[in-house]
Amino acid sequence: MSILLPLFLVLLPGLALAQEREEDEAPEGGEAPDAPEEPEEPEAPSSDEPPPPEVSPDELAAIEAALAADTAALQAAGTLPPEPPPAAPPGRGGGGSMNPDLSFILDVAGAAFSDPEPLQGGAHDPVVDGVNLQQLELAIGGAVDPYLRFDGNLVFAQFGVELEEAYATTTSLPGRLQLRAGQFLTRFGRFNVTHPHSWSFVDQPFALSRIFGGEGNRGLGAEASVLLPLPWYAELLASETMANGAATARSFYGGQDLGVDSPLHLQSTVALKQFHPLGPDWALMWGLSWASGPNPTGRDNRTEVYGGDLLLKWRPVTRASHQELRVHAEGFWRRRQVPEDVYSDTDAFALATWRFARRWGLGARAEWGSMLTNLDGDRVTDELDPEWTNVRTRLSGQTTFWPTEFSRLRLQLSRDAPAWRLDPVLAAFLALEVSVGAHGAHSY
Amino acid sequence: MRKLLAALALLAALLLPRASLAAFRVVATVPDLAALAQEVGGEHVKVTSLSLHTQDPHFVDARPNLALELSKADLLLLVGLDLEIGWLPDLLTGSRNARIQPGADGYLDCSQFVQLLEVPAGQVSRAEGDIHPGGNPHYLYDPRRAEVVAQGIAARLAKLDPANAGAYAENLATMLQRLHARRTELEARAAALVGQPVVAYHRSMPYLADWLGFELAAHIEPKPGIPPTPAHVARVLATMKHAHVHLVIQEGYYPTTTSELVAGQSGAHVVALPGGTNFQGGETYGDFIARMVDLMLEAGP
Repeated sequence: MSILLPLFLVLLPGLALAQEREEDEAPEGGEAPDAPEEPEEPEAPSSDEPPPPEVSPDELAAIEAALAADTAALQAAGTLPPEPPPAAPPGRGGGGSMNPDLSFILDVAGAAFSDPEPLQGGAHDPVVDGVNLQQLELAIGGAVDPYLRFDGNLVFAQFGVELEEAYATTTSLPGRLQLRAGQFLTRFGRFNVTHPHSWSFVDQPFALSRIFGGEGNRGLGAEASVLLPLPWYAELLASETMANGAATARSFYGGQDLGVDSPLHLQSTVALKQFHPLGPDWALMWGLSWASGPNPTGRDNRTEVYGGDLLLKWRPVTRASHQELRVHAEGFWRRRQVPEDVYSDTDAFALATWRFARRWGLGARAEWGSMLTNLDGDRVTDELDPEWTNVRTRLSGQTTFWPTEFSRLRLQLSRDAPAWRLDPVLAAFLALEVSVGAHGAHSY
Repeated sequence: MRKLLAALALLAALLLPRASLAAFRVVATVPDLAALAQEVGGEHVKVTSLSLHTQDPHFVDARPNLALELSKADLLLLVGLDLEIGWLPDLLTGSRNARIQPGADGYLDCSQFVQLLEVPAGQVSRAEGDIHPGGNPHYLYDPRRAEVVAQGIAARLAKLDPANAGAYAENLATMLQRLHARRTELEARAAALVGQPVVAYHRSMPYLADWLGFELAAHIEPKPGIPPTPAHVARVLATMKHAHVHLVIQEGYYPTTTSELVAGQSGAHVVALPGGTNFQGGETYGDFIARMVDLMLEAGP
């Protein structure tokens, strides 16, 4: 298996290039030319004016007076600009329906493991030999009114439906402030907020499932964020979310919900995200995150997680190219108060992906997780992961084929080496993703 | 103490409302709209384009600094018809700017002013490729349609910034006069193209064909957004030989290998057209269409 990975990584680009050549070859012969376009003449416009925005009576009076004066002046000068030419016929340009945008995203994966008990912690990871339904996600989004928009993600698995996210976001607050409320993935780091559709690998980095749980860190709560008044992009955010959920907040209350008797019994998350364009082709984004919440090991015992994330991206836009290179790294340091001691551990991952052709890409990922130690630096047993008694490393490589931006086929090989097991776990995944419905927007 | 005061003063300066910046800020998704807005707005506006003319407007990266630009905008100009759907919506939400949210006066979808081509009738599906349910969004290749868009921009500028309405009307009149003269001259020079069969890479040229009067005989892409297949390219080549096609046109951001191949085998020329106005380089929309026509005429029949 370990021979297969380099072999595979060598073979696939070759296949891709073969296909590119094939696409460029133009055999002789053929028929059925495309029909020529039927040109139309643009028509002359008529007028369409939306109603004026709401203002206070005083402001309205002032505005009306000013407008009347300006209009009179313009008419006197004979230079009033023409009315906007005609609006589109109803139903055109996406304006004809009150339905929210809906899209379905299906992820299925074939998997083969060298060990009958692989350590796949992510809730959407392939976990058994054979075919796995990773998820069927229903994404819903739309404007609620002029002040709010709604976004939701329902996930259908083989044995039920799960509400992953459902929240409202403000769009119109002053001071470049934004609020979110509902159930949402916290914006701790860079990976946590993403859904499988935007992942570069078939499975979740194990740092996430170890620290927060298989679903990533999320909860019911509220978030405030602000674009700082700086010349570059700097966003500061803070959220308060419920600290329960074995798969979403396992280092906090997790599966043992002790309830909320004070605001300290909620999970607090604070993050700062900054972006620096390094010319038109390169960009750097980095963030610092902190989360703190109660854990169930004793009265007022708390868990804190510190994180740092970095994305370096190259995508040439000043010349014709489909290439893109990303380097993404995240590190986590977790500190848990337990009766008469403090446990801590460190997890990190780094990945690089390279889209070398319009339809083809490669990726490599390295992950590392430390053992758990106490204040004296001694190794201790983790009640959350009793098996995790030593260092764990995992290396993965993938290649992806995108027929269009709405479908994707991904082959991934990995070697998971938990030091507490005799043999490493080798895994191979072949994953298919298809999406239908509204075109989702891609965040950076 | 003095340091503290200086720090506080700096903080206050940073936090002061943007009203202190006098210029009316216009942000356009593509450089063509930015160039039109700059001509109409003149010195009273500060115009930014979110993308470069070398970028495919379907696939712009949603860089967070673009959200920062949007957060300061008084007016957003977009092509519409889902051209920007893959990247603009998240940026708009992230901008936290109520003035330019859909439905607000500062959100101007310029497709509303234009007589559109290729509006699908009935049910649409992605089995037909990456089609635009509202119609073909590449209308800025036609200066006649751009003139109508410029009028729409001027009217919206006058509405949002009435103090300078007179200047906008004057700039518009000057600009329309200049653009009209320029395009009439180009139309006369490009008369040889009327009725000529031309092959295009992507379905982005119907408006250019409509303006200059050439016929689109085939497309290198079998369906919008789908890379060419050998069988389809063979059909295109047969069409080109049969119809005596002399020109293959495409935007600079599309690959040229296949186009060069079919052109080479059929005796045609590949012309890489600019994807839009080089607004960041100081080009006007009129310069852009002139450059486009010149490139096509240089390749000659």
